[in-house]
Amino acid sequence: MTLGGTFTFAGPRPLVWDLLQDPAVLAKALPGTKTLTRTGDDKFEGTMKVSVGPVTAAEFAVTVTLENRVAPASFAMQIDGKGAIGFTRGTATVDLQEQPESATLMTYSADVLVGGRIAAVGQRLIESVAKMMIRQALDALNKELQSRVQGGA
Amino acid sequence: MTVPLTLVVNGVRYDREVEPRLLLSDFLRQDLALTGTHVGCEHGVCGACTVLFDGEPARSCIMLAVQADGHEIQTVEALAGPNGELNPLQTAFRDAHGLQCGFCTPGILMTMTAFLRDNPAPNEAEIRDALSANLCRCTGYQHIVNAIKLAAGRRNTAGAVERAASR
Amino acid sequence: MATPVIGRRVLRNEDARLLTGRALFVDDVQLPGMLHVAFLRSDFAHGRLKRLDVSAARARPGVVAVYESADLGDYSKPAPLLVNPPPIPGHVFHACTPLPLAKDKVRFVGEPMAMIVAESRYLAEDALRDCVADIEPIDAVIDLEAALAPGAPLVHEHLTSNAAAHVLQRKGNYQQARQAADLLVKRRFLYDRGVAAALENRAVVARWEPRAEELTIWDTTQAPIPIRNGLARMLGLLESQVQVIAPFVGGGFGPKIMMFYPEELLLPWASMQLRRPLKWAEDRQENFYATTQERGQVHDAEMALTRDGRVLGVHDVFLCDTGAYDPYGLTIPINSQCTLLGPYDIPNYESEFTSVFTNRPIVTPVRGAGRQHGVFVSERLLDIAAKELGIDLVEIRKRNLLGPDRFPHNHEIMFQDSAPLIYDSGNYLPTLEHAARAIGYDDFRRTEQARLRAEGKHVGIGIACYVEGTGIGPYEGARVTVEPSGKVRVATGVGTQGQGHFTVFAQVVAEVLGVAVEDVRVVTGDTREFHWGTGTFASRGAVVAGSACHAAAMSVRGKILDLASSVLRVAPDRLELAGGRVRVSGSDDAGIGLGELSGKANPLRGAVRPGTEPGLESTAYFGPDRGSTASGVHAIMVEVDPETAAVAIKRYLVVHDCGTMINPLLVEGQIHGGVAHGIGNAFYEQLVYDEQGQLLNASFMDYLLPTATDVPPIEAAHRETPSPFNALGLKGVGEAGCIPSGAVFAQAVEDALSGYGLEIREIPLSPNRLFELIERARRP
Repeated sequence: MTLGGTFTFAGPRPLVWDLLQDPAVLAKALPGTKTLTRTGDDKFEGTMKVSVGPVTAAEFAVTVTLENRVAPASFAMQIDGKGAIGFTRGTATVDLQEQPESATLMTYSADVLVGGRIAAVGQRLIESVAKMMIRQALDALNKELQSRVQGGA
Repeated sequence: MTVPLTLVVNGVRYDREVEPRLLLSDFLRQDLALTGTHVGCEHGVCGACTVLFDGEPARSCIMLAVQADGHEIQTVEALAGPNGELNPLQTAFRDAHGLQCGFCTPGILMTMTAFLRDNPAPNEAEIRDALSANLCRCTGYQHIVNAIKLAAGRRNTAGAVERAASR
Repeated sequence: MATPVIGRRVLRNEDARLLTGRALFVDDVQLPGMLHVAFLRSDFAHGRLKRLDVSAARARPGVVAVYESADLGDYSKPAPLLVNPPPIPGHVFHACTPLPLAKDKVRFVGEPMAMIVAESRYLAEDALRDCVADIEPIDAVIDLEAALAPGAPLVHEHLTSNAAAHVLQRKGNYQQARQAADLLVKRRFLYDRGVAAALENRAVVARWEPRAEELTIWDTTQAPIPIRNGLARMLGLLESQVQVIAPFVGGGFGPKIMMFYPEELLLPWASMQLRRPLKWAEDRQENFYATTQERGQVHDAEMALTRDGRVLGVHDVFLCDTGAYDPYGLTIPINSQCTLLGPYDIPNYESEFTSVFTNRPIVTPVRGAGRQHGVFVSERLLDIAAKELGIDLVEIRKRNLLGPDRFPHNHEIMFQDSAPLIYDSGNYLPTLEHAARAIGYDDFRRTEQARLRAEGKHVGIGIACYVEGTGIGPYEGARVTVEPSGKVRVATGVGTQGQGHFTVFAQVVAEVLGVAVEDVRVVTGDTREFHWGTGTFASRGAVVAGSACHAAAMSVRGKILDLASSVLRVAPDRLELAGGRVRVSGSDDAGIGLGELSGKANPLRGAVRPGTEPGLESTAYFGPDRGSTASGVHAIMVEVDPETAAVAIKRYLVVHDCGTMINPLLVEGQIHGGVAHGIGNAFYEQLVYDEQGQLLNASFMDYLLPTATDVPPIEAAHRETPSPFNALGLKGVGEAGCIPSGAVFAQAVEDALSGYGLEIREIPLSPNRLFELIERARRP
């Protein structure tokens, strides 16, 4: 499955960069995340609970490894998720550009393989669920960003 | 963890304790040993598990047993007479060769029992439409359609004979 | 003489049980103390199985045992090779069969890695989620050509490539034929198939009784006797200690004759370990991986013809997908190879195939068993040639059919039963003419089609011919017994999955013995009842087991006449059997009832004469030297909407020849079912795998089976050229309905859209694929 898109954050690029590397913030923003901790300089590990269509919510053990970091402009990710109902493996890239009026334009793309039960019966829904999760996460991040900007952090 | 369940199946009342997640199809087949209801897909598409739920066709494989609490279920075992005599619908299926392996048949009989009750004189298109919710891999449906036409026709003739006799 | 029963539309003996829900299917079996089994299956199509952690599963309350490959000890061996490749000179075949539980490597999504035994199926499935499989993924091998390219990952690393087999068969000299041809038509064809999707999923119940030292297995198998023999051997038991029962089986269609599935091997073994009965019932999603299926072939084929459409020869090179293992040998591709020749006189033929290992479930025969692929290639080549030569589609077929004087016809290549491909009898031209007449072909071509087109309706006709090798050996047997009640008992070894064996075998015996069909009780599929034989497959049940029933009944008839002759003191040739009695022909005398006679054959005083047996019972076997060739023609009329690519079938008719029909009503049922399956294959059904071997449509929500609104009324007409290979002249019919479906669909859709420049070279079609093809043809 290939996903991609853009999103405009209402805040300056360095702040956006920090938020995207903060496991506590990401854990709250990404739907279904139960835990997410930084386990290395460029590694996050955690658990998520995801359901897709008829497949009941089940836990995934997720590992994300960051690569090619060029602060505060871009980075790439290796994603590995394993659970009883299936697995996912893939890569993603994130690009941040400064915009006028203290905004940041994020461009992202991801190439992800999904397998197991989720793929076998949830096929038509995986992409839309993934897009929805990304949208919700970005909206939540943007809200957190705005509150920090207003709080003068 | 169990919850109480009270229901009537084929006219008999049962009081049981069941796990909330127990499927109605498993309850009927295992707990009540009514194995005439068959499970073909467990995701509500093939219709082999069709029973009558308060008189209306329902897929027992995607229902929980506890959803039947306080309700009436009829399975294929309710159709024949006390000594196993085939009812008119079943007889029509035999006469028209409306079954081969017989696995999908109980679900079709229950669906058609309700359908013919509500549509006593259907045409072929209506029959095929009503039948389209039940999958059969053996027959190609033609003899099943013939069986349903035969059953409807005989019932209407019997009805006409009765009405003539009662004048 | 008794009223003839063979050939009558007799109602089925077995229906009452099936209609009332009283018939026993394997999942209906409930035994005291029974435990339930679930299998942990691989989520990856290709990978190294580094480690399984089942400790949490073992610790779960209600779980009785969890087995991995290492726990099986010596019992973990590759499953037996079921079908040896026929002795075709120069063939290459690498037998790779699976272990019961994967060890070190997984090769397809769904391959079993561990077996969980628990108090209920619910708990067993809960425990599946406790297991953690550490699999290091390897790139999956999916595309057939990419699989053979150098550097492709190897499904089986002890081999040097993913080629599972290579076979070349030749007849005549194609190269010479090619030189002499006026026209060469060469194309690539793709033909994909899918799952059998019997409504009943597979199930196994195994009970080891430690005190009696006996093993009873209920299995949804089409071959109980070979299962019993194999399991006895593998478990170190006598065959007589093992009973395999295939009760009512809810549809077979081929995958239930795949034998020694992991579940069949493991449940009996585990029952012996745990000394408890065990049950495994497959669910529908599992069925898409754990039960075998058929899949695709890629053909590069060329046909050489004269300018008046006479075929001089065919050259075909094809790849076929065998999946991750190949326990069923070369049955499918050899069927494709042989069935391509069809009813035609093709003097020169060169057919070469490579069977390819892929990271997908195992491929074994599904109704048609590879014949579809061959028929599609030859029928499409004829269609394309006809268009290039300006010859009518029916006419070109007529010019190439084998005439009735050409039988038996030896094609000089080898068939799947290791015998030369010889057609026993047939008369193809009248069948084709019958079909063309019945669909109104001439009128349609002359005026109707154009008239409909002028009204904006795109209607087309397709007509395709096929032959089907049926009724192959090795043999089947039957035992016929007249009981003291006067009723007759028949036991035979084949299993039954809806074909009406309880009725057709009864008809054969009833006619010979002069009893009512309802008074003949048939027992099938129980190795305790009858234990020599093979199974139900390849359209052979009625032919081979039916012929054995006939032979056994004839032998009993002889005993009846002998004994009745001495009892009634009348010469045997003056006696007749009718109404369950033996009487003197032409006399009013009541004679003697068969029941009473059977009593006389089992004396409580006096002795049985040497060289005879007590009772009125005989066992007989039938083993044909070779199969008998059924044939037929399908004709279809479709209307296509060129905007939406929706296809409506206006008419579907079948004219077929299966020799003598025991029960025409049941024959029609087989044809209808086969046609529906064929419509599914041609249009609705496809297994969609991604590049990493994940099946994306493992449910009936997304794998579309035709429903009652998708299958039209089917018109069936019969012709009979009896087979000379058995006494009744029988030929098989089980698969006939679905063999030419792809060919006939493609021809009809192209005909409906003539002028759109469409050439259909692939199956399945489906509205969205057809839409793409139409768009592509419109804007090249």
